[in-house]
Amino acid sequence: MGRLRQDTVIAIVLLMACGILFWSTFSIRVPDYGQLMPSTWPRVILGALTLLSVIYLIQSLRQASPPVDEYEQSVPGAPPGGGLIGWLRHWRNPIWCFVMFFAYLITLPWLGSLIGGVLFVFTLMGVLGGWAPRNVVLHAGLALLTVGGMWSIFTYGLGVLLPAGEIFSPF
Amino acid sequence: MIIENILAAFGEIATAKTLLLMLVGVAGGLIAGAIPGFTIAMAVVLTLPFTFGMPPSQGLATMVSVLVGGLSGGLMAGILTGIPGTPSSVATTFDGFPMARRGQPGLALGIGVWSSFCGGIISAVLLVTLSPQLARIGLEFNPWDYFMLVMFALTITASLAGQHLVKGLIAGVIGLLVRTVGEDEAVGMARFDFGSDALLQGFDFIAVLIGVFAFSQLLRDVRDPEAAKKSLTDRGAVQVKIEHMAAIREIAKRWTIVVRSALIGVFTGILPGAGGSIANILAYDQAKKASKHPEKFGTGIPDGIIAPESSNNAVEGGALITLMALGIPGDVTAAVMLGALLIHDVIPSPTFIAEEPVLAYSIFIAFFVATFMMLGLQSFMLRVFVLVTKIRVYMLAAIIFGFCGIGVFAINNVEFDLWTLLWFGILGFVMRHFGFPLAPLILGVVLGNIAELNLARAMAITTDISPFFTRPWSLFFLTIAVFSALFPLFQAHRSRFKWTLGYMPVACFAVSVPLFMMGGIVRPILGVIVVAAGGFVLWRRARDGWRLPEAAGQSYVEGG
Repeated sequence: MGRLRQDTVIAIVLLMACGILFWSTFSIRVPDYGQLMPSTWPRVILGALTLLSVIYLIQSLRQASPPVDEYEQSVPGAPPGGGLIGWLRHWRNPIWCFVMFFAYLITLPWLGSLIGGVLFVFTLMGVLGGWAPRNVVLHAGLALLTVGGMWSIFTYGLGVLLPAGEIFSPF
Repeated sequence: MIIENILAAFGEIATAKTLLLMLVGVAGGLIAGAIPGFTIAMAVVLTLPFTFGMPPSQGLATMVSVLVGGLSGGLMAGILTGIPGTPSSVATTFDGFPMARRGQPGLALGIGVWSSFCGGIISAVLLVTLSPQLARIGLEFNPWDYFMLVMFALTITASLAGQHLVKGLIAGVIGLLVRTVGEDEAVGMARFDFGSDALLQGFDFIAVLIGVFAFSQLLRDVRDPEAAKKSLTDRGAVQVKIEHMAAIREIAKRWTIVVRSALIGVFTGILPGAGGSIANILAYDQAKKASKHPEKFGTGIPDGIIAPESSNNAVEGGALITLMALGIPGDVTAAVMLGALLIHDVIPSPTFIAEEPVLAYSIFIAFFVATFMMLGLQSFMLRVFVLVTKIRVYMLAAIIFGFCGIGVFAINNVEFDLWTLLWFGILGFVMRHFGFPLAPLILGVVLGNIAELNLARAMAITTDISPFFTRPWSLFFLTIAVFSALFPLFQAHRSRFKWTLGYMPVACFAVSVPLFMMGGIVRPILGVIVVAAGGFVLWRRARDGWRLPEAAGQSYVEGG
């Protein structure tokens, strides 16, 4: 995706978001008291964001799109092409991080902070660093030591009730 | 009274537990600052969940320690590996790394450590002396002035994005918008909750900060699979012994550079948005310009290490001055400190030092003590740093992700905060990728409710909006906000368009108007000085025949 198209798309997305949020300000209840209505400040902000997005859109349309090669050189590590597969390959590590953290959050009510946290750190290390036998042992040790340590500090040191998880709750 | 408060504050800090926590904080900061990709702000943000269970003075002392340690940690990586640990130590590598490669890594580290110490102490002295004075000025502020101060802080932070001013402003406005979600603080009505109970509570701003800053930074660090599997040792870290005495002798010979650079650091810190990343380059540049042998800079000379290290450690003292005196954070790390204060139900404002003197002086004392601790710990932490350099980047990232997953929950015991962390982590990562600066976004989130509350207060007093333009302080902040927003345009058009010749004089004349309106003796005198400066620039432009700088330069050559 060239810089022109990229910036233009972002500006359009921002404008659409402004429209939706501005529309939703009309559902904010109006109280009988107070001089500044609860919807005024968000509308001021959205007005400013709309104006800035329009300027951004105009700027993006006025700028000439650089040749693809030039763009690729200007952004270190930019996807070299290859369609969806190439894009996924390029961004695989951040995507894995999102997916793993998402899985950690989804399973948190069952696994709890300790087991979920250890599994999350261990799996993420494996995904990012590889599953060689030596790595697996090292990753497992590190995950247990660090997450277990942090969990202990919060639970016993700071008295924070972290989610125990349904698996652990009977105990 | 002041002595009593200082003694009481000293009593709060000088407990075994607090000192131990500070020691751990400095050590953690030194290591976090030393690891490229793991910024000081990230270290301070991640410390926040640990401090919420502590008494305010203890929690803040711990965070100040991480901050002070982080500011000094960047020099270890910069000097030994040539890769700056933090953006604040970029200029340190210019001369530090060549000196280390020349066989004097111990001297280079010593100069860096002692320069950091001197810069920190100078800024701590200024923090103690200037904060109460600035707070006294802050007492003059009314809601209109405060609202404009927030707008100025956001504008100047966005303007630091340079050519990407519009993106900076968009980021700042998005930050303000994020803060409007949930019940509004003035009358308690639901906004943008879309029927969700979780959204009705609003986004916890610490979770937003950690997501936007730490989470997105970690994602960047592991983006390249090959680089993520490397450790710093692969880039050539070495084990050395710091040469303290030789370093002190070198610094004593160049004390003027230390003082000048520290003052540059404090001033840069006071400006909202401008942090150590700017101060170290600015101080290095000034040292080079003032030097009798500028050509030697970059070859590994002490001057090139002293200037950036004195300035970057002085920055936080400056940033804390505006935070403590006005409640406006000078940079991202100060914004996190503001978050720490809010967690402990302390709201910084001009009355903060008067109303919470013991806590305020605790922060001052913690800054001093942490600076001394940093000095003592550097030699030891250097060994730990060498060990840390052996850990792969992806391992560190995964461990910190895990910490985020536990620490953010601990702030409010609410699972929704973890989702906030994830979504804002994605937002921060996407924004970074598309070139949107994150500092305005963070300041927008932090300052959003301050702006709205003051707007509501102003409207409650009168619905007339003219005080925003007629009150001296409000007009002052509005004027500098407008000129700081125009500054990137001025820089881009400089030497090409004639209108730029009038920028500085017009800015001077405009700023002088509110100064004259403030009355008294000192401020009108300042106004006269500013007008005189503007008039002088105008006279020089007229003398040169309103030629653009390059054209004027050619005429001198031709004339000569």
